[in-house]
Amino acid sequence: MITIGDNVEETSGKKGFRGLFSRLSEAIYGMALHGQVTAIMKEKMYIEYLFMLMTIGDMMGIPILPPYYTLRLLPYMVPNIKGWKLRMLRERDFTDIVTG
Amino acid sequence: MARRIGFRYLFERSPGIRIAIFAGKGGLGKTTSSAALSYRLSKMGKRVLCFSTDPQASLSDIFEKDLFGKGEIEISENLYVLEIDADKRIKEYIESIRQKIKDMYKIEEIPREVEDYIESAAAEPAMYESAVYDAMLDVVSQSKYDFYVFDMPPFGHGIRMVAMADILSKWVDKITEARRQAYEYEKAASRLKREKYTEREDQLLKELENIRDRIVSFSKLITDPKGTAFTMVLVPEKMAIVDTERALKMFEELGLRMSGVVVNQVYPPVILRDPRAPEYLKKKVEAQIPMLREIYEKFGDLILAIIPMFRREPRGLEMIEEVSKELWESTITLDDLEELSRR
Repeated sequence: MITIGDNVEETSGKKGFRGLFSRLSEAIYGMALHGQVTAIMKEKMYIEYLFMLMTIGDMMGIPILPPYYTLRLLPYMVPNIKGWKLRMLRERDFTDIVTG
Repeated sequence: MARRIGFRYLFERSPGIRIAIFAGKGGLGKTTSSAALSYRLSKMGKRVLCFSTDPQASLSDIFEKDLFGKGEIEISENLYVLEIDADKRIKEYIESIRQKIKDMYKIEEIPREVEDYIESAAAEPAMYESAVYDAMLDVVSQSKYDFYVFDMPPFGHGIRMVAMADILSKWVDKITEARRQAYEYEKAASRLKREKYTEREDQLLKELENIRDRIVSFSKLITDPKGTAFTMVLVPEKMAIVDTERALKMFEELGLRMSGVVVNQVYPPVILRDPRAPEYLKKKVEAQIPMLREIYEKFGDLILAIIPMFRREPRGLEMIEEVSKELWESTITLDDLEELSRR
């Protein structure tokens, strides 16, 4: 997912031994750390969503800031709004409890 | 000793006053009072800006000149008038938000859910008030004038802004904390992914801090008793008295102090003693007495000035001068009111 203000940087392809090494390190990363990184990013997403609720909460009917000022923050949150709204408005059922 | 009233005495008591705000319902004389005080101060050699937002362009009516949405216009020496077109300002502001989104993400069209939000926010009644307060802050922060006189729009949302300022300050601190936390997580993730992490300047946080600063300055502007005279205008009528009382209570609950009230459209009590005065006029004076008694009992020392009922509508510089004399030093004194109340 894209987060506020993220620049998506693409790493250029590497060749030769260095390329092999980087593949290897990616594999190690994938085995050992990917789960951890995902968990961290998920945690970050929750904080991000909480932050959105605290600032542009009036989008969900929770008026906090005067709308005049909320509009100033809006541009920064554009990429997250859709996901956030879906998450906030999603109906919770037993599968949520099972899957956490 | 006669208890004389007028803005003159207010300024003598609080020489640090640089801002005067006239609030109250429409049609009671807010704009007239603002124009009159501005006029008086400008005659004393102060550079004055008289600010109004009235969509009915009352200031234009009073000064008999089209001022609405025209920027700062010099009326006479040292007297400048600004009648902002708040609706136009809102439109421009919202357009700038749209443009910013388009530029930031290099998109032609704004996503539906975002556009929906912008539209609903634009339609909020609070939008108008916020835009006005923002414009007020803008002119004061430029500090081009010695004095600012504000003809406030009916005050509702403003009180919320004032009440919010304190909470908001703390809240922004908390949010800053939450943002930092989010960054910590991001940093940790990039470290694990062996990616380079560059600390970005957080524009969002900057905006938030700026919003807080603006709301806090607005609250200071309204509530600083040393620098600002916050005045309500009322007339001797039941509804106006009730409204003013309510506003006063609201102020007290927030721990704020109103500088006082201006009583407008008062029939001079001397009419009663004038044998040549027509009977119908005397009846009108009599009819005002119970209301004036109530005003005297409820507001007493808070009464800053009394503007008499004029024979004709206060329009044009000549009439404004008349009003300004009364506002500065009222002919009708508190003793007159007391005497009337005893009748």
